[in-house]
Amino acid sequence: MPLVKRNIDPRHLCHTALPRGIKNELECVTNISLANIIRQLSSLSKYAEDIFGELFNEAHSFSFRVNSLQERVDRLSVSVTQLDPKEEELSLQDITMRKAFRSSTIQDQQLFDRKTLPIPLQETYDVCEQPPPLNILTPYRDDGKEGLKFYTNPSYFFDLWKEKMLQDTEDKRKEKRKQKKNLDRPHEPEKVPRAPHDRRREWQKLAQGPELAEDDANLLHKHIEVANGPASHFETRPQAYVDHMDGSYSLTALPFSQMSELLTRAEERVLVRPHEPPPPPPMHGAGDVKPIPTCISSATGLIENRPQSPATGRTPVFVSPTPPPPPPPLPSALSTSSLRASMTSTPPPPVPPPPPPPSTALQAPAVPPPPAPLQIAPGVLHPAPPPIAPPLVQPSPPVARAAPVCETVPVHPLPQGEVQGLPPPPPPPPLPPPGLRPSSPVTVAALAHPPPGLHPAPAPAPGPHVPLMPPSPPSQVIPASEPKRHPSTLPVISDARSVLLEAIRKGIQLRKVEEQREQEAKHERIENDVATILSRRIAVEYSDSEDDSEFDEVDWLE
Amino acid sequence: MAGQEDPVQREIHQDWANREYIEVITSSIKKITDFLNSFDMSCRSRLATLNEKLTALERRIEYIEARVTKGETLT
Repeated sequence: MPLVKRNIDPRHLCHTALPRGIKNELECVTNISLANIIRQLSSLSKYAEDIFGELFNEAHSFSFRVNSLQERVDRLSVSVTQLDPKEEELSLQDITMRKAFRSSTIQDQQLFDRKTLPIPLQETYDVCEQPPPLNILTPYRDDGKEGLKFYTNPSYFFDLWKEKMLQDTEDKRKEKRKQKKNLDRPHEPEKVPRAPHDRRREWQKLAQGPELAEDDANLLHKHIEVANGPASHFETRPQAYVDHMDGSYSLTALPFSQMSELLTRAEERVLVRPHEPPPPPPMHGAGDVKPIPTCISSATGLIENRPQSPATGRTPVFVSPTPPPPPPPLPSALSTSSLRASMTSTPPPPVPPPPPPPSTALQAPAVPPPPAPLQIAPGVLHPAPPPIAPPLVQPSPPVARAAPVCETVPVHPLPQGEVQGLPPPPPPPPLPPPGLRPSSPVTVAALAHPPPGLHPAPAPAPGPHVPLMPPSPPSQVIPASEPKRHPSTLPVISDARSVLLEAIRKGIQLRKVEEQREQEAKHERIENDVATILSRRIAVEYSDSEDDSEFDEVDWLE
Repeated sequence: MAGQEDPVQREIHQDWANREYIEVITSSIKKITDFLNSFDMSCRSRLATLNEKLTALERRIEYIEARVTKGETLT
């Protein structure tokens, strides 16, 4: 809608009420009209003066520029005539030491700011009603913001854009740092030997039987697919999954493989997050297929964001991406049901117990994939726990092995857990921890207890308080569950791991604080500078990594 | 009738004359405003063209100065 810049004041000449007691009305109207005409002429002259004034100001600034340009041209002409082709650059230093030519790219910015408002529009604005005086409430505010900013803020969009730009630059820098880190890390997982993992897997398969093993692979694939997306391809995936299992252990490897590796090296990799919630998917064999896939997809998204932040050690970082996806799907699956709802609370603590799940996965040859497969084919789930996700493994083995027994056990804790928010995870983990941890994959029967280990125990218990409560749940779980295999070792290891985990988390928090301080400092510096800095940041964003690294170095040095 | 017509007619005639006068004045006011608007717009466009040329000239001069001057170091 075009705004009228200059409005001649008496709009209508004779739209006024005539005074009473006048004999010759026509003459009165004529006189009133003539008077209004004079007023119109006066406002017209005022606006004309304003128009010419603006044009004059612009032309005047141009005259300054033209004059300066003229002087520069004169000087240049003189210097050019003095140039001699004989005088060449003597040394290479001149070439290198010379300042690189950069033309001054002046960009127009802040075009529609309050200060650039033309005078006639300012006068029109002044005629309007003022906003309510909310700024008198400013001294009574806690957050220090101006009261009027909540009612009307002319710089709102600019501030929004500024924040977004700063955030984007920070994100880009982090991405580049991560890429650099990732380039260094992919070799680590390759070092993991394959032999132990394959043996266990083979033993598990043999123990369960060829048919069950295939089903487990299918279930595993199902779980993985559910985590990745709602598609479910039983037949096509198992082969690929098996190949993956035996194949490379790259970062993109399935979580099961990583889990198994972690189990083999559970002792070494204390950094694994124990508090990964082991959702008891097997608990609800006949469940809602729909919520699980949706929950899993959402949970995977949540967990994918988390893996990067906490892990300080290499192994956890490596492990984190894989374990989180499996546990989140499991907890997310429970969202719909009461158990599910409690389970979903666990996904926020992204540290699923990788060691337990791998161990359990290894032990349970029949890998019962995520709860989805359980629901789909409860009978099929029984054969083996799904190694894909540790949490899945935990609930699956108990359910798979002793379906009736396990189900009853988890069911009881579940109602209790609902109230607490994390009931389902604790019940299933207690069962697995005792049995599978010692890592005798061949003993399938022992798998009746879901993947044991400190990892599952700590993970399921705390849920939201996972980071803080890893030691407590294992201790609680251990006495209650009566781990058959190595209960004595569990509390000792869990304490050590919990201490390590806490230290890691603290480190991460400290880093975050430092980053925040840096950002605040930058913000303070930026506020004084206008959008020039923002436009520079845009250039930084779209520039290549080299420029970013240089910019980063500059910022760090500052 | 004739007596009534005369003063009324005179008034009406006079009123018509006044109105025509006012109409002439208002139409000329409108012409002035139109002229002012178009003058403003054309001036702005010309000044913008001038600005463009000036900016281009300034950039060229900067480049030439950078090429011609010697002894410029990174400091």
